Amino acid sequence: MKKRILVANRGEIAIRLIRAIQELDYEAIAVYETPDRNSRHLRIADEAIWIGDGPRKDYLDVEKIIGTALRSNVCAIHPGYGFLAENPDLARACENAGLIFIGPPSKVIENLGSKVMARRIMAEAGIAMVPGTENLPSGEQGLQVAMEFVARYGFPIMLKATSGGGGRGIRRIENEHELREQYPIARAEAKAAFNDDSVYLEKVVVNPRHVEVQILADRAGNTVHLGTRDCSIQRRNQKLVEIAPAFQISEELREEISQTAVKAAKASGYFNAGTVEFLLDSDNNYYFMEINTRLQVEHTVTEMVTGIDIVRSQIRLAMGHNLHVRQEEIRTRGHAIEMRINAEDPQNNFMPEGGKTISVYRSPGGYGVRLDGFCYQGFTIPEVYDSLLVKLTVFGWSWEETVDRLRRCLTNYVITGPKTTIPFYLNLVNDPDFQQGVFDTSYLETHEHLFEYKEDNSEINKLARLIAEIHNRGENRYAK
Amino acid sequence: MTRIVQNTDAATVIATLRQADGYYVTNTARDLSQADFKNRILLHTDLMAAKGREAAGYFSLEITGGASVHVDMLRKQVDPFLKLELLRKAMPKTMFQTLCRGTNLFGYRPYPQNVIRLTVREFAKYVDVWRTFDFLNHVPNMQAVFEEVALAGKINEPSICFSTGPEHTNAYYVGKVGEILAVTGSDVILCIKNHGGLGTPQRIGELVDALKQTYPDLVIHYHGHNTDGNEIGRIVEAVLHGAKIVDASDHALTGFYGPPPVLTVIQTLNGYGKTAVGMSEEAVIETSDTIRDQRRYYAQFEAQIKGFQPTVQIHKLPGGAMGSSLEQADKGGFLDRMPDILHKELPRVQKDLGNYWSVTPGSQILWTTAVSNVLDGERYANPSGDLKNLLLGKYGPFPFYKPADWIYKKAFGPDWKKILEAEEGMPGIEDVDLDQERAALTEKLGMEPTEQQLVLYLQHPNDAVDFFKFEENFGKAYVLPPAIFFREGSFALGEKLTFKDHFGKEHVVEIGPTQKTELGETNVYLNVDHDQRLYLFEPELQAGIQAEVKLTKEEIAALATEGDVRAPFAGTICDVSVEIGDEVGVGDQLAVIEAMKMQTPILSEVAGVVNAVSAKIGTMLQAGDRIFKIDRFED
Repeated sequence: MKKRILVANRGEIAIRLIRAIQELDYEAIAVYETPDRNSRHLRIADEAIWIGDGPRKDYLDVEKIIGTALRSNVCAIHPGYGFLAENPDLARACENAGLIFIGPPSKVIENLGSKVMARRIMAEAGIAMVPGTENLPSGEQGLQVAMEFVARYGFPIMLKATSGGGGRGIRRIENEHELREQYPIARAEAKAAFNDDSVYLEKVVVNPRHVEVQILADRAGNTVHLGTRDCSIQRRNQKLVEIAPAFQISEELREEISQTAVKAAKASGYFNAGTVEFLLDSDNNYYFMEINTRLQVEHTVTEMVTGIDIVRSQIRLAMGHNLHVRQEEIRTRGHAIEMRINAEDPQNNFMPEGGKTISVYRSPGGYGVRLDGFCYQGFTIPEVYDSLLVKLTVFGWSWEETVDRLRRCLTNYVITGPKTTIPFYLNLVNDPDFQQGVFDTSYLETHEHLFEYKEDNSEINKLARLIAEIHNRGENRYAK
Repeated sequence: MTRIVQNTDAATVIATLRQADGYYVTNTARDLSQADFKNRILLHTDLMAAKGREAAGYFSLEITGGASVHVDMLRKQVDPFLKLELLRKAMPKTMFQTLCRGTNLFGYRPYPQNVIRLTVREFAKYVDVWRTFDFLNHVPNMQAVFEEVALAGKINEPSICFSTGPEHTNAYYVGKVGEILAVTGSDVILCIKNHGGLGTPQRIGELVDALKQTYPDLVIHYHGHNTDGNEIGRIVEAVLHGAKIVDASDHALTGFYGPPPVLTVIQTLNGYGKTAVGMSEEAVIETSDTIRDQRRYYAQFEAQIKGFQPTVQIHKLPGGAMGSSLEQADKGGFLDRMPDILHKELPRVQKDLGNYWSVTPGSQILWTTAVSNVLDGERYANPSGDLKNLLLGKYGPFPFYKPADWIYKKAFGPDWKKILEAEEGMPGIEDVDLDQERAALTEKLGMEPTEQQLVLYLQHPNDAVDFFKFEENFGKAYVLPPAIFFREGSFALGEKLTFKDHFGKEHVVEIGPTQKTELGETNVYLNVDHDQRLYLFEPELQAGIQAEVKLTKEEIAALATEGDVRAPFAGTICDVSVEIGDEVGVGDQLAVIEAMKMQTPILSEVAGVVNAVSAKIGTMLQAGDRIFKIDRFED
C-alpha cells in the first residue's frame, strides 16, 4: 500500500499540495468542511474526508486533524498556508503522535511566531531590524514605555500584536493622542483575535519596499536561499502582486539580503522551507521583519525563476532527505510575476463576491503561463472562506516580456458571475510606473486611477451585448 | 464632357453645369430610404454600395438631411457625422448632398439662428450641395442657411416647393425664383422640389420652360417622386426643357413612393438623344447587383400597401410621408378609413388651410388634421399644437390665402380674434446660450462633448443623449449588417455571425443556449471570438399586466376635469412641465405629447397640486394612459 499524506487545507493550495504529493507517488488525503463539499480538491485527492460543518473551525481543529490523520493511516501532514500552518500546536501534536509535520519543528514555529522572540534571536545574530520594543506592559506603564520609544525614534510608529501575522493585528499611529486611544483597543483586539493580548512597537519605515527571501534547509544544517521576491504591491498589508526576483535593486544588494536571510534562518535553527521578510527603505537600508515558517502563497514565482519545486522539496526534506541542490547550483533567470485573482470588487473596497456562481470560466495558456486555482464553471464560491480563485503566474526573459505576457493573459481571462480583480490588474499592467518597475508599498494609495475601469469594455463585447439583447427579445428595440 | 468631382469650387461647378450638353444625375439614396424604407437603409448597406456609386459618376449622392439625421440616431444608432466621414473615405470623388428644411433644419420646428449657423458649419465640412426648402416657400426662412453655405464655400441649391391647383401658376413660381435669386445671387442651382410627384409630365415641362424663359442661365435640378408611377415622364419633360440635373436611385432598392431607377432614366433619355454626363451604366448595374441581396432584411420597413398610388394627385402626400401614414393607419386600426382620409378629407383640409405645399412639417399638419377630422367625427375638434401655430402664422405667412374664420374659431374658441391679434406672426426665436448647452451636455455625458456631439444635441436633445449612451453601451453598431441589426426573431442555436468592428477587426459570434433562472432572469450564452460569454437579462415587465380599459374621448375629458390627466391620444411624451408638489392653475401646461412629429400641449383642467407623475420624457402612451394626478383645491 502506498504511503499517504494528509492535506490539512483547502482551495488552490490544497490542489498544489496534492499534485506534489501524487508526483512523489504518495496518496493524497484531503479533508473538508461542509461548505467545501463541491470543491475541486476533493475530486483530485485520492480520498476526501469530511471533518465537520465548519466553517473554518474544523480546518482549525488540531485534535480533529490529528485524529483524522491517524484514522486514515497517513504518515505526514502538510498544512499549506493559513489555518494551522503556523500554529506550533499542530506541529507539536504531530511530533507527539509520531506523524511527520511538513514544516519546521514546533519549537522553531513557536520562537519565530512570537515577534518579540524572533527579534531577540535576530538581535543576537547581529541582523539589522527596524527599531522596536519588547512586549509592552499593560496599562499606563505600557504607554510610558511607548512614549520613551517615541522620544527616541519619533512618529509614525506601528503598534503590533505579538501573535499577529499575515497583515493582521497591525495599526499605524501618527501621534500621542492616537496612541492613547488605540493602545487599549489594540490589546483587546489582539486578545480576541489571537488569544494573546501582548503588543509591541516598531518604528515605521515610510513607504518601504517589501523584499523577502525563500529559504530551504535540511536537517543536516545545509541552508540555501532561492533568491528574492518583491511583494510591495499590497492593499492594507495584504499582498496582491508578487515578483521574483526583486529586480529593482542591484544584484549585489540582492545577494547581500539573501545571505542575511540564510544567516537569520541558521540563527533560528530553521528546517524545511521558510521565508525571511525584510523592509527596504528608499536608501536601500534593509531591516529584518519576520520569518514565515510555512509555504508562502507566492512561492510560485520563485519556482518559475529557479526551476526548483518548493513543495516537492518540502516533502522530501520532511521525509528525511537532504537538500538536492547546493547553493552554487541555484540560478535565477528571467522574471516571474504572480497576480492573485480574487472574487472581489476592487471598486467597492475589494468587497468579497462569495456566494456567486461562476457561469463562465475560461483561462489563458501558452508559453510562460502557470495557473494555480481550484474553481470551475458552475462552481459557487463559498462565502465563508477567502476569495482567492486562482493565482496567475507568468514567466518571461525580460521584465518587459513578462508584463506583456501578463497583459495578454489578463485580457484573455474570462470569469463571469462574480466580479474579480482582473480588470483592476489590467489597469495595473498598463500603468507606466508598474511597467517601469517603480513601486513601493504606497503604490495603490498613490495610483487611484487603477480603480477606474469598466467591466469588459472591448468593442466586441459591446457589440456582442447588443446581439445578445436582439437574440433575447427577438428584435432590436433600438431600431424600432 | 466629364463628371464633376468633389472639391471643385462652387463657381466652377455652376459654370460647368450651365455649359453642359446633356444632364447630370443625383442619386437620392437618402430620399429613397426615407420614402420606401422608413429611413432605415443602414450605413452598412450604403458602404457596400459605395464603390459602385463612386464609379457610377453621379453629380452628387444625396445621403444626409431630411429626417435622416434624426433617424440615424434614433433608429439606426449611427452618428450622422461618422456616417459622412466613412462614406467620404469610401467615395472621395462624389459630391455629397443634403436636404435642409431651412429654419427647421433637419427637424420639425424652427431653430434659433445661432443653432442653424453652427449646424450648417459643422455639416458643411462633409456636405457639398445644400438643397434647402421651406414648406411655405417663405424665403426668409431659408436665409441663414443660404448665408452659411456660401460662407463655407459650398453649393447652394434653394428650392421652390411645387404643387398643383389654381394658385400654382408659372407666374407664381417665376416670381418666387426671382425672390430667391435676389437673396442668393445667380450662382446657385435651383431645385424644383416635386416631393409628391405631382402634375403631368407636360406641366413639369411647361414650368421648366417658363423658368428658363425668364432666367436663361438658371441651372435647374428637377426633383420628384414616383408615387404615381409616372416620374420618368416628368423627368424626361424636365430635361427636354432644360433641367440640368435630375434625381433617381439604385434599382435594387427602388419602390413605389421614392425616386425612380437611375438606369431607366438614362435609357429613356438616350432615346431622346440626351446623354447622362459622366455616368457609367455598368457601375449603376454593379451597384444594384452588390446590394440587391440586402433588400429582404428591410422588408419590415417597406409600406404595408404595395403598388403605385396614382391618387397622390388628389391627396398630395409626399413620398416620405406615404409609408409612415400607412403604418400609422395599420397600427391605429383605421386602414379601412384611408380612402375617406386620403381622397376626401385631405384635399378638403388642404383647401381649408391655404393650399400650401404638402411637405415637412406642413404635410404632417395636413395629415394629422385630416385623420383627426375623420376619426373624431367632427372637423377641427381637436387641433394639434402645431396646427394652432400654423394658423397663427408662426411658421410663416400663408402663401395664397388665410384659412376661413370658422376654422380659427374652432381652433381657438370664441376669443379667437383676440388671440390672433395678440399672437399672430413669426416669433423672434432667441439664440440659445451655446456654452450653457455645452455644459448641460457635459453633465449628461459625464465628459466634454465634441462640437459634432453638441450639434446633434441641439437638433434632438433627448434622442442625441440616448444615442451617445447607446454607443457607450453597445459600441459602433453600424458595423452590423441589416441581417443582424434588423433581425426579426431570435437567432438559431449555433448560428454564426461574422462582421468587422469599427476598428477593422473581424469577429465571430456564435449563438449559444439560452436559459431561464428561477428568478426569471434570462442567461444568454454567446461564443464571442471562441470565448464563451454570458449575458444576463432581468425579467421584463409583461406588457398588458395592467388591465386594458379603453377610455372614450369623453371619458378622458371627464377625468381631466377631476384632475385625473390621461393621454388624449397615442403618442410620446416629449416634455414634462411640472413635478410632484407643484401648484397648477386651470390652463397651465402640464406636458407636451408628440405623435407623428406633431406636438400637442396637455393643459390642466383644474387648479390644484400635482400628486403623481406617471410618465417621463420619452414614455410612449396609449390613449387613456394616466400621465398626472392632480389634487384639486377645495372650491
